Amino acid sequence: MRKSSKSRLRSIELFDIINMLFAISVCFLTLYPMWFTVVNAFNDGTDALRGGIYWWPRVFTINNFKAVFGTNNIIDSFFVSVARTGLGTVTHVFLTAMVSYALSKRDLMGRKAYLVIGTITLFFGGGLIPTFLLIKTLGLYDNFLVYIIPTMFSFYELLIFQAFFREIPVSLEESARMDGANDFIIFLKVIIPLSKPVLATIALFVGVSHWNDYFMGVVYILNAKLLPIQTYLYKIIALSGFDEIRMTAPDFVGGKQVTSQSMKYSTMILTTLPIIAVYPFLQKYFVKGMLIGSIKG
Amino acid sequence: MKRKDIMKVLAILMVSVLLSMPFSGCTATKKGNDTTNTSTSAAKSTTEKQEESSQPDTANEPAWKKDTSPITLDWYCNYSWQLSGDAWQKTKVGQYVTEKTGVSINFIAPAGNETEKLNTMIVSNSLPDLLTGDSTDPLFRKIMESGLAYSLNELADKYDPYFYKVIDKDVFAWHKAEDGNSYGYANWAYGPESLTRYPNAIEGTTTFLVRKDIYEAIGSPDMRTQEGFLNALKAAREKYPKINGQPIIPLGFHDFGDSGCRSIWMGTFFKSLLSEYLAQPKARDGKITDRLTDPDMVNWIKTLRDANEMGLISKEVFIDKDAQIREKVAQGRYFALMYQRSDMIAQNTALYQTNPDSAYIAIDPPSNTKLDKCTITVGGLQGWCITLISKKCKNPERAIKYMTYRLSDEGQRDTYMGKQGETWDIIDGKEQFLPEINDLLVKDKTTFDNTIGGVYGAYQLLNFIKSKTWEAPQVEPNKQVWDWTLDKTICEPQFDDLIPLPSSEEGIIDTKISNKWGAVLPKLILAKSAAEFDTLFNQFITERNAAGYDKLMAAWQKKYEENKAKLGLK
Amino acid sequence: MQNDIAANSVKAQSKTGLNTNLKRLYSQRYLQAMALPGIVWMIIFCYIPLVWIVIAFKEYDIVKPIWSVPWVGFTHFTDFFKDEQFLTVIRNTFGISLLRLAAGFPAPIIFALLLNEIRLVRFKKLVQTVSYLPHFLSWVILGGIVTPWLSDTGFITNALFNLHIIPEQALLLGEPKYFWQIAVISDIWKELGWSAIIYIAAIAGISPALYEAATVDGAGRFRKIWYITLPCIKGTIAILFVLAVGSIMNTNFDQILVLRNSLNRSSSTVLDIFVYHMGIQSGRFSYATAIGLIRSVVSLSLLLLANSVTKKLTDSSLF
Repeated sequence: MRKSSKSRLRSIELFDIINMLFAISVCFLTLYPMWFTVVNAFNDGTDALRGGIYWWPRVFTINNFKAVFGTNNIIDSFFVSVARTGLGTVTHVFLTAMVSYALSKRDLMGRKAYLVIGTITLFFGGGLIPTFLLIKTLGLYDNFLVYIIPTMFSFYELLIFQAFFREIPVSLEESARMDGANDFIIFLKVIIPLSKPVLATIALFVGVSHWNDYFMGVVYILNAKLLPIQTYLYKIIALSGFDEIRMTAPDFVGGKQVTSQSMKYSTMILTTLPIIAVYPFLQKYFVKGMLIGSIKG
Repeated sequence: MKRKDIMKVLAILMVSVLLSMPFSGCTATKKGNDTTNTSTSAAKSTTEKQEESSQPDTANEPAWKKDTSPITLDWYCNYSWQLSGDAWQKTKVGQYVTEKTGVSINFIAPAGNETEKLNTMIVSNSLPDLLTGDSTDPLFRKIMESGLAYSLNELADKYDPYFYKVIDKDVFAWHKAEDGNSYGYANWAYGPESLTRYPNAIEGTTTFLVRKDIYEAIGSPDMRTQEGFLNALKAAREKYPKINGQPIIPLGFHDFGDSGCRSIWMGTFFKSLLSEYLAQPKARDGKITDRLTDPDMVNWIKTLRDANEMGLISKEVFIDKDAQIREKVAQGRYFALMYQRSDMIAQNTALYQTNPDSAYIAIDPPSNTKLDKCTITVGGLQGWCITLISKKCKNPERAIKYMTYRLSDEGQRDTYMGKQGETWDIIDGKEQFLPEINDLLVKDKTTFDNTIGGVYGAYQLLNFIKSKTWEAPQVEPNKQVWDWTLDKTICEPQFDDLIPLPSSEEGIIDTKISNKWGAVLPKLILAKSAAEFDTLFNQFITERNAAGYDKLMAAWQKKYEENKAKLGLK
Repeated sequence: MQNDIAANSVKAQSKTGLNTNLKRLYSQRYLQAMALPGIVWMIIFCYIPLVWIVIAFKEYDIVKPIWSVPWVGFTHFTDFFKDEQFLTVIRNTFGISLLRLAAGFPAPIIFALLLNEIRLVRFKKLVQTVSYLPHFLSWVILGGIVTPWLSDTGFITNALFNLHIIPEQALLLGEPKYFWQIAVISDIWKELGWSAIIYIAAIAGISPALYEAATVDGAGRFRKIWYITLPCIKGTIAILFVLAVGSIMNTNFDQILVLRNSLNRSSSTVLDIFVYHMGIQSGRFSYATAIGLIRSVVSLSLLLLANSVTKKLTDSSLF
């Protein structure tokens, strides 16, 4: 594609402009739902029943947030979620990456068998009931570790890690081996530092799924102090839904009222906020290039 | 729904009892005359109860008083909105109950998919001490039928005969299993006897509503006939094509789901609003009727098709879900609604407060050719929730005693109101919440539920008839709608619980037919001509019969006859 | 004699064969130890519960223990194939999934590539952060936002009508023929930013030196993308593609539930919905499990097929 430097400059600019415009419109389209949620979270629930709140609250209130904080165990739940997300993400990413590295070596004995074992798990599962029985038998029922141990590994992510590990030049490993390192040390000192983008990505996915999960708290936990924040908020919303069903006229006086719908918005904001806060720290791994001093050949 | 019916009955009951009690003075007030006679028996039994409970150390005293040592019972309630853990325990009411009886409750709630949680508990053989769930829930039925719960009568005989004094015997008998034992007790249940004793006392939920201002502007026409109905819708749309800048929706319904529309016809047996408007009998000459093919029903669905042809049916009614419908109700966009009054209380109140004339009122609905008054089925012995004591209960003796306490008048008041002096007192001769508590109840229900825990906090064994004593009366706009239903209610427990278990052969047929109906109903209304309507409808009936409809009807007939025997009807 | 020698040499060979294997195993001991926890975990948490699958061949009743319930062989499977909704369900599931694969798979890749071309780093970060926000919102909320937009007076309907893409201003969610497109496009809207993250990470791993070398050789922007960027993330794309093919039989349950209604049923009844109604809500565990088993077998086969095809085309694959 030989072009004169002048026209090449022009074509670059045109593409850039179009690209920018496209990026801006994507921004708008994806920002709007969040904006809509924020606006509705700050709007009075009863008034919101009438609909039509698109750009700015019509009847401003912070009651939807107060309703959530006004209840007992929210601080406990917050810490449970933080602990679970932190511990669960670190153990999961480390274990899965380690197993993946081992399985990425084509000369590993039994590799094919391991891959078959893993692939079957991607598609065949027993479902809730046998898993529940297993959890109980293992003594993980009503135990904080139920959030960590049964979620510690994912074959799906193992496959994603593999794609990255295979791209890493073998020569790097070999030079480390020549320095006397065994496979595990190689994994820790060579592979991990080079895989920061994929580690960060998987950590983000795992962390978010830990943070967003409400189901485990529902099925496996009895002790209210061990509930993560999502389960806790889910219950609050369900609770207010009942209020609406059985509301009789004297119970309900118009004016500032919180509905289950309006609470859905405020809880959604509260749970998303921490993720949005953490993300910029992980983002730097995605934007910088990583492979320093690549070796030719 | 059923609970509302009972509340009204009990209000009347309570008022008449109060009027006839000796200590409240002369009973011969003109207003109380009619009710005094019928309620003397009620008065007697209440005073009897009171005397008995104040006599110490007889077999007629509730056994919970003898043992108030601390114990915690795990209580599973199969509703995602149940306050779980010790949340209720910590409220004023919860603490008061513990103070009195020594029993603390640890609630377990599913908060999410209810069936999953219950399944896991059954399978792992770890049911908690007490369980509460829908009385028609197949899982609960299974638990009761499979010997996983204690028989309440055996427990009562053994530990607390006083139990029999606090229950409604008809309700208890209704839930008897084949072996003659009752494994659960239902709330929000009452029998037809109550209905005849207190006519026009129980309210229903089925209503036909119109916007007051529009209705009056078009001359308050009679919408009971097909002509009147169509003309009214047409006139409304012509006079008010737009509401607040958006097109008017002349006729609104409940949402159209996979098995049909509750407003018109849903599933195979389920009562629909239209069926009640038309006062369709569920059985004739001892045989269950096929209400869907009844000419009145077919003609009215055809009328809906005509309405669509006249452009009076907005397509959005077919796709709106509950949330959207309520939103539009709150905006006042519908002229007429085939809708349950209980599903729009908040919205109607909000409309009334903005502009009283823009609220919805109840009027006589589309009726059958004889213009019969519509029949609204209410209540029943089936009840809403049923409570069981599982065989895994750590202390069934305390459990049954606790149940007796809760069901007794004392327990009812304690759990509804709390401690006298703390949350309520006798004000103006009536047991009422203290002003600041009432304020909280009205203005900030959530905080009330979390700190006081009264009113419906103890719904599981709440005697809804009794609770009418403490409830504030209805106000407009909901009062008119509520009152409209009063003289139309009927109670027919012989038709309760006819639906076979969904996993049974008939249950599978039921699901199939319901699904087909759900698919064909919108097509019927949207049909381009009466001829097309007939073709579609006849095709549905053929398919329905081919799927095994007669087997289904036979199953209903069988259960119907069993019910009648239970009730001693012919 | 010859036989003896042959036999002896075979014996000797197998002995050395065993020795070689043991030696190899020993040399790999660290790797094997690293792989072991994963294998053990899978056996405990995936294979033990798998025994439960046997209820697909029984008539399971929840109050009875699993061994006392009768065997029914393949009855549930044949029931499923004979069900009158079977063809509709399969057609809708595959239709939506294939459309999603065709449109929704390339979209985040293209987005990641375009984002990579933006030079203002702050702006690039901003767009990326904003773009993944819809991923966190539930379909209940998104459905509530999108439904009015698709009504007969909604702004999307108006826009499409004015652009002559649709013949009349109708209630879009009430038309079965539009459902698949609505489902796929709204799904892209929600997941674009989030799915792009992994590609952005992969692109971040490409050495800048490669680009510098290409610039020296006089390559323009598009050449760089075609010859450097895409080949370098080929592995990632291949894997995600194979995995996507493997999940063709799954659809986004929450989304479909929200967008589905009585008018578009013929296009919106997918396998997940079917199982939910027929299986779970009716308490027919065995039936639901049997369908799940069919789904698993089909998905696995599709995955293996996609894997071998991808291997031939791009020389990289899942296994």
